[in-house]
Amino acid sequence: MSANSHETNIRCSCEAAKNFTDWYYYQINEGKAVAHGYVNGHDAYDRAGHPPADICINGLVVATPQEWEKLLEQQRQAPKQPDPNKRRVRYEVETLDAHVLNADYRFAAPQKMIDLHAPTDGVRMMLHVTTTGTVYFGTGRSAITTSSTSSGAGGSGSQGADYWEKQEFRDTFILVPNWDMLEKVGTRHGRKYLAISHNYRAS
Amino acid sequence: MAPPTGPRAGNSNRSGHKPSTRGTRGGGGISKRRGAPRTDRDGDVSMGTVSVPSSNPPTGPASQATRPVRGARGARGARGARGTRSGQLAQSVRNYISEHDGTARNAKPRLNKVTLKIHGLKDSKAAGSKDGGLRSLLEFLERKASKDRAIILGRGSIHGDHVWLKVNPDDAPDLLRLNGYTYAGAVLTIEETKDPIPGSAPPASDSPGSKTAETKDKLLAVLGFRYNAQQKLLDLSALAADPILLAMGAFQSKPLAEKSFKALMSLTSANYDKNSTKIEDVIQAVSLANNDILDVSEVFTLAPTLPRLRRLDLSSNTLHDFSKLSKWRHELRRLEELHLVGNPLTNLPNYPNQVIEWFPYLQILDGRRIRTQEEAATALAAWFPNPLPCLPSNLRDGENNVASTFLRGFFTLYDHDRAGLARQFYDDESLFSVNAGSNITATGYTSFSRNLQTMGTRGPATQQRLFSGGNVIAELWARLPATRHPSMDQAIEWQIDCHTFPNLADPTGQGAAMGLAIDVSSRFEELDLVQPTTGIRSFFRSFILGPSKPGAPHPFRVVSDKLTVRDWAPQETNVAVPPAAAVAAPAVAAPAAAGPAVLTEEQQAWMIQEVARRTGMNAEYSRLCLTGTANWNLELALQVFEEKKADLPPEAFAAR
Repeated sequence: MSANSHETNIRCSCEAAKNFTDWYYYQINEGKAVAHGYVNGHDAYDRAGHPPADICINGLVVATPQEWEKLLEQQRQAPKQPDPNKRRVRYEVETLDAHVLNADYRFAAPQKMIDLHAPTDGVRMMLHVTTTGTVYFGTGRSAITTSSTSSGAGGSGSQGADYWEKQEFRDTFILVPNWDMLEKVGTRHGRKYLAISHNYRAS
Repeated sequence: MAPPTGPRAGNSNRSGHKPSTRGTRGGGGISKRRGAPRTDRDGDVSMGTVSVPSSNPPTGPASQATRPVRGARGARGARGARGTRSGQLAQSVRNYISEHDGTARNAKPRLNKVTLKIHGLKDSKAAGSKDGGLRSLLEFLERKASKDRAIILGRGSIHGDHVWLKVNPDDAPDLLRLNGYTYAGAVLTIEETKDPIPGSAPPASDSPGSKTAETKDKLLAVLGFRYNAQQKLLDLSALAADPILLAMGAFQSKPLAEKSFKALMSLTSANYDKNSTKIEDVIQAVSLANNDILDVSEVFTLAPTLPRLRRLDLSSNTLHDFSKLSKWRHELRRLEELHLVGNPLTNLPNYPNQVIEWFPYLQILDGRRIRTQEEAATALAAWFPNPLPCLPSNLRDGENNVASTFLRGFFTLYDHDRAGLARQFYDDESLFSVNAGSNITATGYTSFSRNLQTMGTRGPATQQRLFSGGNVIAELWARLPATRHPSMDQAIEWQIDCHTFPNLADPTGQGAAMGLAIDVSSRFEELDLVQPTTGIRSFFRSFILGPSKPGAPHPFRVVSDKLTVRDWAPQETNVAVPPAAAVAAPAVAAPAAAGPAVLTEEQQAWMIQEVARRTGMNAEYSRLCLTGTANWNLELALQVFEEKKADLPPEAFAAR
């Protein structure tokens, strides 16, 4: 058995995936920034010459996380809509899964981190995280609970469900440790993992 | 009448609210409805009529109604809305809806209640309390009767030395078991009786069930008469003159008329809920002409019932100004055609403009074209957030087209030879997990599903449901339902994105290697293991490929493979489409009806192939196995094979 399926690594990868996706979907649902969740612009990776994150949105390659934020903003555009809630775009995650791809991730790692953490410590990991769910266009925060439960029950999805349109979406992230943050002892803020790859599809 | 603020018609049982099942159980002379039913939540006028005394006035102390824990008991008062005709109508519809709509929760059939006679309360210590100890006795019985399921008793009444109580037949044996128990110092005698409860009204000659059915039938007849299938038109014009409704007295007064309209709408939606037909495909136009409507709030229910209505006739009503129409301004978003001729508001100065503004997709007003379809689509787009455009597959897998080559082989082998597939591309470090969406209908995946979103990140299942190593993965695959993926040549069926990324561990332990991330979504046909039917499922599969160890059959291997399956649903889209195309696509998803008689030859061939794959027999013997006692049931056929394996001749396994 390889370190990728080591017990500690599995547990840590699940927690890291949950943590990252909870943060990510909260941010995009609230219209907040997500760019700092990508590898771009982080010192350790910049210094070591890591390529920018590969972001592919509905088949379109997006050069920077900021451009992805612009697309998200574009998605929320509804200039005529007087009700701010109905301008919302809300992502509801239904499935989440995570695998460890490389339990001994070393790229751009400070020597201290390599000395301190063995490959079975669940720290120096490259992760493969997938989510699927439903994205609702034009809905309020409260409306979604009703619509998401009723829509699955056959036949009457559109009836009474307070959203304008919905799509199924899927996201895949490849995450790597955020050395900048891990290195600082006692840091409580900041992302522990950063995305080097993000693939999004909604249809 | 206020617009509904609670869950909309037809959906209440699936929403967060939990209407009590008790409301539908009321029988005999006892009427109790503890959870306020939906229509009442909506601000229904029937609530205003509850003061009409029914045969059993409430006896419990009023203050009990606010008790937080056992509030149910406090609401025991007979709050029958039966005093008025509108109440009757609402009750009937409510009964009908609860029978058909919330089947899961309201699964209990309407049964005749059993009358119990309980002796002993008078001698107990509780007899001195305000209500003669009735309430605490009933609580005692509820508590003691069953540990496994909650038993909720009715109101009960004290007459002479006995407590009389009507209970559900299911609950009766549990309660009779308590005969001889001691309650507050007195021994209880509980017996079943056929005697009528003294002092109660004689049972109504027609049971509520038949009344409900009768009202329902009448209303359905009205709907039937007024539906024009060719035009997909529900003609609800001049309802007050309808002979059936007139005979029912459903339009005698304004509130009653509103109530009846709601009932019609409830039935409309319930009818299509049941048939799982999309209501918007069946009813595209509604006429409400000549109904003397003063304000559209009177018929507001139309909007939530038919949110995608395309044509509406409101002519010859009495809408005086725009405020009378404003309730619908954000509701009927797909409305293309509207008729308001004959309403006073058409004489107002900003008449057409205000309406055009309020209904962004409106193209024809009073017979005049006011927008082209393109203009309407643009106007609509400005009202709601719009999904990002979707581009075709984005394959960035280098010059060797590794991803295309891999996928082409992968799905063919996954359909036909999973063990072989695992041997070729998976080694002892490969990881696989399957993920079933929360509302997936089949159980073929759920027991293996590793969905961290629902099961959390800490439980043992996160470890157990991660399958590591080619052999383990192949074993799991053998237990997953058989599939058939569409051909890779049908590009429109597939969405594939892939790209390379650095810093994957090299299997030789020498530095880092490039990885290839492939995300695939499409759908596959799945063979149901229980019934010989096929269904369609959408899936999403995310692979990470990396270099193989020396000596492996291919230069690359699967490092990580995640399969997510969901129920396949035809796409729901609001993108403006020409009317002709708006008619629903044929229900490709509908699985063939159960039963071997309807199996197509293609399905049979597939099952034969599946049996052959699992048993190693040739096609001829696989067919024999399926057509015998198994009668085209795959599971049975495999069982038969296991039983008779030893007796089979060698030619059964010989390739032909």
